[in-house]
Amino acid sequence: MTQDPSQLKGKSLPPPRETSGAEALKALVTGFATTLKHLGRRPITEQYPEEKRELPARSRARIILTRDPDGAERCVACYLCSAVCPVSCISMQSIEGQGGRRMAAWFRINFGRCIYCGLCEEACPTSAIQLTPDYEHCQRAILKSVYEKEDLLVDHCGKDPDYNFYRHAGVATEGLDKGRHEKEAPPVNVRSNMP
Amino acid sequence: MVLDWLLGMIVLLVKLGLILGALLFGAAYLVWAERKFLARLQIRLGPNRAGKFGLLQPIADAMKMLTKEDLVPDGADTFVFKLAPVVVAVTAMLMFAVVPVAPDLVLFGRSIPMVIADLNVGLLFIFALSSLGVYGVALGGWASNSKFALLGGIRGAAQMISYELALGLSLVPVVMLAGSMSLTEIVAAQERVPFIILQPISFAIFVISAMAESKRIPFDLPEAENELGAGFHTEYSGMRFGLFFIGEYVHIQVLGALTAVFFLGGWRGPLLPPVIWLVLKIIFVALIMIWIRGTLPRLRYDQLMALGWKVLIPAALVNIVLTGVLILLV
Amino acid sequence: MPTLTIDNRPVTVPDGTKVITAAEQLGIMIPRFCYHPALGSVGACRVCAVGFKEGPIKGVEMSCMVDAQEGMVVATDDPDAVDLRKHVIELLMLHHPHDCPVCDEGGHCLLQDMTISGGHGRRRYAGAKRTHLDQDLGPLVQHEMNRCIQCYRCSRFYQQFCGYRDLGVTGIGTRVYFGRSEPGTLESPFSGNLTDICPTGVYTDKPSRFYGRRWDYERAPSVCIHCSLGCSLTVSARYRKAVRHEARFNAQVNGHFICDRGRYAYAYASQPERPRDALIAGRPATLAQAATQMSERLAAIEKGTGPDGIALMGSARSSLETQALLARLHSEKGWRTPCFSADDAATRVVSSALNTLNATNTIALTEIEGADTVLLVGADPIGEAPMLALALRQAQRDGSRIITVDPRPVTLPCAHDHIAVSGDDLATAVAHLIIGALEPSREIALDADQQDRFKTLKQETRDIPAAAELRAIGHALTTAWRPAFVCGTTVPDPDVPPLMGLLQALVQTSCMWSGLFFPLPGANTFGAHCLGGSDALFEPLLAAVEAGQVKALVVVENDLFSEYPDQQRLAAALESLELLVVMDCVPSAITARADIFLPTQTIYEAGGHYLNNEGRLQVATPVIAGGLSIMDTGGGNHPPREFREDIPGGTPRPAWQYVAGLATGETDPPDVKPLLDEALTAGVADGERVSLPSASREWPSIERIGAGPEGDAGGLTLIESAATFGSEPLAAFSTVLAELTPLFGVTVHSETAQRLGWRAGDRIVIPDSAPALEVVVTLDDRAAPGVLLVPRRIGIDRTALRRYMAHLLAE
Repeated sequence: MTQDPSQLKGKSLPPPRETSGAEALKALVTGFATTLKHLGRRPITEQYPEEKRELPARSRARIILTRDPDGAERCVACYLCSAVCPVSCISMQSIEGQGGRRMAAWFRINFGRCIYCGLCEEACPTSAIQLTPDYEHCQRAILKSVYEKEDLLVDHCGKDPDYNFYRHAGVATEGLDKGRHEKEAPPVNVRSNMP
Repeated sequence: MVLDWLLGMIVLLVKLGLILGALLFGAAYLVWAERKFLARLQIRLGPNRAGKFGLLQPIADAMKMLTKEDLVPDGADTFVFKLAPVVVAVTAMLMFAVVPVAPDLVLFGRSIPMVIADLNVGLLFIFALSSLGVYGVALGGWASNSKFALLGGIRGAAQMISYELALGLSLVPVVMLAGSMSLTEIVAAQERVPFIILQPISFAIFVISAMAESKRIPFDLPEAENELGAGFHTEYSGMRFGLFFIGEYVHIQVLGALTAVFFLGGWRGPLLPPVIWLVLKIIFVALIMIWIRGTLPRLRYDQLMALGWKVLIPAALVNIVLTGVLILLV
Repeated sequence: MPTLTIDNRPVTVPDGTKVITAAEQLGIMIPRFCYHPALGSVGACRVCAVGFKEGPIKGVEMSCMVDAQEGMVVATDDPDAVDLRKHVIELLMLHHPHDCPVCDEGGHCLLQDMTISGGHGRRRYAGAKRTHLDQDLGPLVQHEMNRCIQCYRCSRFYQQFCGYRDLGVTGIGTRVYFGRSEPGTLESPFSGNLTDICPTGVYTDKPSRFYGRRWDYERAPSVCIHCSLGCSLTVSARYRKAVRHEARFNAQVNGHFICDRGRYAYAYASQPERPRDALIAGRPATLAQAATQMSERLAAIEKGTGPDGIALMGSARSSLETQALLARLHSEKGWRTPCFSADDAATRVVSSALNTLNATNTIALTEIEGADTVLLVGADPIGEAPMLALALRQAQRDGSRIITVDPRPVTLPCAHDHIAVSGDDLATAVAHLIIGALEPSREIALDADQQDRFKTLKQETRDIPAAAELRAIGHALTTAWRPAFVCGTTVPDPDVPPLMGLLQALVQTSCMWSGLFFPLPGANTFGAHCLGGSDALFEPLLAAVEAGQVKALVVVENDLFSEYPDQQRLAAALESLELLVVMDCVPSAITARADIFLPTQTIYEAGGHYLNNEGRLQVATPVIAGGLSIMDTGGGNHPPREFREDIPGGTPRPAWQYVAGLATGETDPPDVKPLLDEALTAGVADGERVSLPSASREWPSIERIGAGPEGDAGGLTLIESAATFGSEPLAAFSTVLAELTPLFGVTVHSETAQRLGWRAGDRIVIPDSAPALEVVVTLDDRAAPGVLLVPRRIGIDRTALRRYMAHLLAE
């Protein structure tokens, strides 16, 4: 006789419902009928290499680095994706690029380790790193699974067609000085007493 | 005299070879059939890559198992570990020795019994081997030096003991009706009516107990992959695992044959040759078992015990008494 | 000692403790931006609001402004206070830019933490954000004013705490601007601390800009080895490269801050020129080959000449492990006593200074902050030990009087009295101070013997121009409550430290507290002294080399050419050696001459123990395993795409390992404490001072004071002294500090300049100098007349400079 765990806590659960013989028989018959019916149905198996399924745009597979609408690299090498990556498959080095922009000197994803969890995409503040539905990139040589920046970088905006981080950031970069970003007032003239 | 003896030996060896070949071939393709049939029950395709309809799948499986590394775990009792799968496979095959596959064949004026050994205690022989088969499970589980395997082995032993009784008791009315323990006699006794009609309760008890004996869903507690890894054969790999596998599928065929012999009139049937009838009956029973596997979930351990001791054994005893009363009256 | 309850937990704190500090004692970190333990409270940022439930104050108040009082009940999670903090954060975040991803503070930003923990996740303000233009603040600090939350920490630190005026605050309301009146390099040698104290990203570290995030850094507690004070550091490294030093709080030594020399000196460890392979006669070899050849050749020489034929040369920048094993090598093999500095003049002063220290008169750096009078003789804190200047600034802020007696025009970031005395007169000057302290005073009682000695002292002491002033100061010292005595060890002669000791001992009898503080020439000079380094001088060693008595020299982490003035003589002597073994982690003039060169690990790789200037034993923990940075090994735009078992460039081993290989064959790091205990009398613990002899009542011998200076009083003297940047051998490799290093120049009194026919801004080309040396003339009337003052600079032709100055003297 197994001990009812609910009694250990001093609380009693409702007693298990007794099943009558007729009910049990009905359940059995329903079960066998169901499986028997299945025999007549057409199998739903998709035969992978011959039939390839179109995955939804938001499916999580191969990772890309997108560009902003102006064609510049979106990645600012902020290290958030590598920090959040549960398997530590992302590594990078940030440097100061042209015009004072922070960018990745190198950016590496080891797809041999990647578990396609999508946390990097969620963490990315600039919509740079995105997962795509392209799931067919198995490699026989392990080093071929190590993608460098040039392998990851694409020439489009991915799923976020409009966002350009540097138009919002508020840091002065080449061609976009202080006070000219979205929702910014012109720089304060500290030598003036006028409010 | 010597010639007779020699001839007898040759015939026996031929019979042995044919039965053994048929059993092993049957086991291989029963696996294929089970995977295919089970897949269709679940609206899948099943194996279809190796050969047309996956017909070469058993061969691929055999090659895989033969080439896989044969591991003996650290701390395992090596001898017993190696012995266990042999016990399972051999006992399963030996049971077929007493099954008549057809009426006696008359060749060149000689009557050749279409059974390897027509024992007058055939039924007891079967029970004995069936009990021995448990050793394979229990010893394999114990010798693996693994907690999962040990639990599986213990469960196997307990389950066998419980259902052995019901199995035996369910066949007592059959013996009472046939008046013999020889399987040939039992088949002969069903000339007019198969025993399934006379003994439906016995049939039900036998089928359920037999499935429990063969450790198949819903009675696969010794394996219980989601609790115990793979139960008693967790630590087995390669062809040793293959022997367990063969043992299980030979066992299914034996059970099909025994069901046919005890309740479905054995090789009897119209139009088709007797051997074919027997094979068809075996296939029918196997398919039913696969269907059950595809439909029912595994029993809980207490349910398994309750079913055996509280339902099947009393029902079998009552059935014996009823049969006895009926035989006295009729 | 009021007892109060914070978040249901009682705590007893000293009177005058703020509630925010009391909470810290319980481990409760109340949010803060403007409050900093070193800067105090101003109540500007309003995020440290807590609820006062019971006691003398009720309601929501700023915990940094309220003194802890008996019976207070404080709730940091009071709903009103939480609500207030939340709104304050939202207000502070109103104009904060959307640039965390490209901000270097991200990851260790106080504002980020407070915003997240305060629950402010979405900006409600839809208007235009206030923006500011940034300034170029030089090579060390990056400015980004948009991020400012007006906590005033920077201006308070820069102006009040450090005493520099070129960075401050202007404007009102949201237009408040922190910066300089014009863009330009920050003048303070403590400007790097701005990056530590700024709670957000207005000031970020420029050399490590965009290099990495705090969470990716390998960090370890370490010790600064770029002057003798031994400030506590936290070193950050990434991809096998040390990239940042931050101040680590140490209540005895540096407090919360460090100077820019220590903060930006790390570049030497990852410079491309760093020697990483063993060399035999200038050709690359494996470490095993070089080590085997070293021991074989040394054994052969020992066989030929006896153990006296092999000399050992250590360094003041080596760890105690290395120094101690050199001393053991000497005791086990009988090779010559290791010498730890090629600057014998300094070694003599250090020796007399450290022999003056005892268990009662030694003080720690932060204790100077509590002094009411500080007398510095022959010490230039900004150049020799910058953090000492910061301690003096704190003393002066508390009303302390600072007096400097020096031939150099000592500048301090605080008001001080400067008395210019030529270098040779420093001992006489201290004698005058002693006379001033004893003469008219009846407070200091002398016994008969002391009276006699005092009489002699008075008779023997020459008159110097500043005598009257010095005697007045000496008298003033006897009325001080907490006087501190600081004495340099590079400019004064060896008589000065004992005289300072005498002065301190005399004044001690009339005050509450007093002490001696000696900034030393090297990070581990104290260690070298403890291990007998003051007994072995370099000049006799060099003479023995020249005489052919010494055939082999083992130089460990020391560039003799930067320490020994006569470079030609040194080069010739080294040439005559049969075997020159050099072990070092930086390229130097001597590295190129080595017959066998063994690359050593830096402090970041090997760690080690160091004794600072007051004898405090401090531990540096290794940060990285060593090897070339991944940035360097990749080649192209990615790290290497290959698997290998060794670390490229990971050959160097700790210097002590090589020495141990010669001495004992050990491969595990030696436990320095037993070795130190051997050298000293009793045990020592990490962070504690080594045991010093107990105070002696003996007057030091003052025979030589009367003799007066050896040179002609009216002649010229050349003083080479440490400057903030460019003098320390390791920090000199830092390229950012090189930008801050001024042009090489000579500072003279205008009278002296007149005599020499020099004018301010003149450029003197030193003849026959290689590399060509040009000296800019600066006039400063606070310098002693007759003194030619040049900074010690690594890599200049000192021989030519000295020759030229000698030529001037002759004229």
